[in-house]
Amino acid sequence: MSITLFKTTLKKNWILLLIFISVLLLYTLEMTLIYDPENMEALTSMLKVFPEELMKAMGFSDLVTDLTAYLASWLYGMLMFAFPMIYCIILGNKLVAKTVDNGSISYLLSTPNSRVKIIVTQGIYAILSVAVLFTALFSISVLICEAKFPDLLDIGAYFKLNVTTMLVNTAVMMVTFFFSCLFNDSKYSFLFGAGIPIMFLLMNMLGGISKDAEFLKKISIYGWYDPVKLVRGKDYFNLNMLFIGIIIVLFIASVLVFKRKRLPI
Amino acid sequence: MIEVKNLTMKYPSGKGIFDLNFFVNQGEVMGYLGPNGAGKTTTIRALLGFMKPNNGTAAIGGMDCWYKATEIQKALGYIPGEINFLDGMSGDEFLKFMHDMRKTKDISFQKQLLEMFELNPKGKIKKFSKGMKQKLGIVTAFMHNPDVLILDEPTSGLDPLMQNRFVDLLLSEKAKGKTILMSSHMFEEVEKTCDNVLIIKDGRIVKQSDVQTLKITQRKGYILKTTDINSLAQALQSENFEIGSIHNNSVEVFVSAHNVDRLIKTAANFTITHFDIKVQTLEDIFMQFYGQEEKSR
Repeated sequence: MSITLFKTTLKKNWILLLIFISVLLLYTLEMTLIYDPENMEALTSMLKVFPEELMKAMGFSDLVTDLTAYLASWLYGMLMFAFPMIYCIILGNKLVAKTVDNGSISYLLSTPNSRVKIIVTQGIYAILSVAVLFTALFSISVLICEAKFPDLLDIGAYFKLNVTTMLVNTAVMMVTFFFSCLFNDSKYSFLFGAGIPIMFLLMNMLGGISKDAEFLKKISIYGWYDPVKLVRGKDYFNLNMLFIGIIIVLFIASVLVFKRKRLPI
Repeated sequence: MIEVKNLTMKYPSGKGIFDLNFFVNQGEVMGYLGPNGAGKTTTIRALLGFMKPNNGTAAIGGMDCWYKATEIQKALGYIPGEINFLDGMSGDEFLKFMHDMRKTKDISFQKQLLEMFELNPKGKIKKFSKGMKQKLGIVTAFMHNPDVLILDEPTSGLDPLMQNRFVDLLLSEKAKGKTILMSSHMFEEVEKTCDNVLIIKDGRIVKQSDVQTLKITQRKGYILKTTDINSLAQALQSENFEIGSIHNNSVEVFVSAHNVDRLIKTAANFTITHFDIKVQTLEDIFMQFYGQEEKSR
């Protein structure tokens, strides 16, 4: 990995990360503020005015009353992967395919740094930035909850929830990164790198609506775990390992395809 | 220093370069000429290790350009044909970045180059004019004192004054013993700096020659005006000069270098009101070579 390149990549992309952290924190803050442990019925009945299908598609479950499960359902049911997905699509495409498309990568490659080193550096940035995103979200939302509702949040369960959510988002990051390395044309990189995650998201939403469509949720990467069950103690260790496996495989595949391909620059 | 053997690189479109063979010795400046789409940039892509050849090899300093690209880059300077810097950087940030990526620290030559090209690298590159970007590209390619330079149309976008500065730079680098391969559209620039010239067309090398021979065989067009155009044309024709076109009272004659004296002596018998050299475009020169090629077949 090249420290110089990493610093430059960070300098060019930290604002993008900051924007997503801010937006997601704003949502977290809002969701925490409308939570009322004494009167969950008022909240659920208020949301009853929306069609039930819409609520299910968004992953909202009206059976939860405790703060941890409430956050798992209302925030981690969709928002915490739908928004980061956009981040992954933008960043993944920007890190490699865009530089090949506009030819600026020729400057990186005309220095004594191998293709492998350059792609590994960009890939590490991609993964670390998702980790930073969730570390920031986790720690700040814990602070918010503790300030508003002392001792109501099950921090251990909430931590596990964040780990799994971070891993699924990192896996999606690597999907877009892989296509970014595969295609020379950022048009195609975008088509696949954005198309596949969006398809997963839509499948997860549709799968939540009815029993008939449930299989869609099962094949969508976002539907492989249930955030509410997770905070209630279901063990997702194997799934976490699977996500890590996917991340590693896609990372290696990205490096290999980039190492071998022809660059029209 | 640069050695290309049976190099073939095909694109899906069927274009590409086919069975190229040439070498550039250490300390030699090689001009690489050809019309657009002839395969100049493709050859350079192979030399930089951006693309793996379908067949044959390209090597710099004895190292294979595809497998040893990283090693080769340590002593290589490169100006891309289409310069695109990294987004959002200022000029001096970019130069610093390139030094860091190359792990070079000596910025004395960089300073000299910036002065030579009167470039102030402050400010966002995005706001630079085309000429300034080109200058920044030149400084980037030369500032770490590489042994080998691969330059893809290095003077495009430069004004004539800066083109001359660039010629001076090339000559001084040549004096230092650098090996240079330069693709160009400007024959004058090649003429002033290069020892030898390769001419490529449709992906194949159609001519390799030293610049002196090229100059001698090169015909130039002269435009003569006189009061009695018909007799002048007749006189030139009887002396076996190649006449291009005759307009009103001017005649265009094509003469190779060793026949210029004869032309002047023939024309001296007439009242010449105007004598001009027709500007030769690279295309004219190509046409001449391709014409010769056709004839020799």
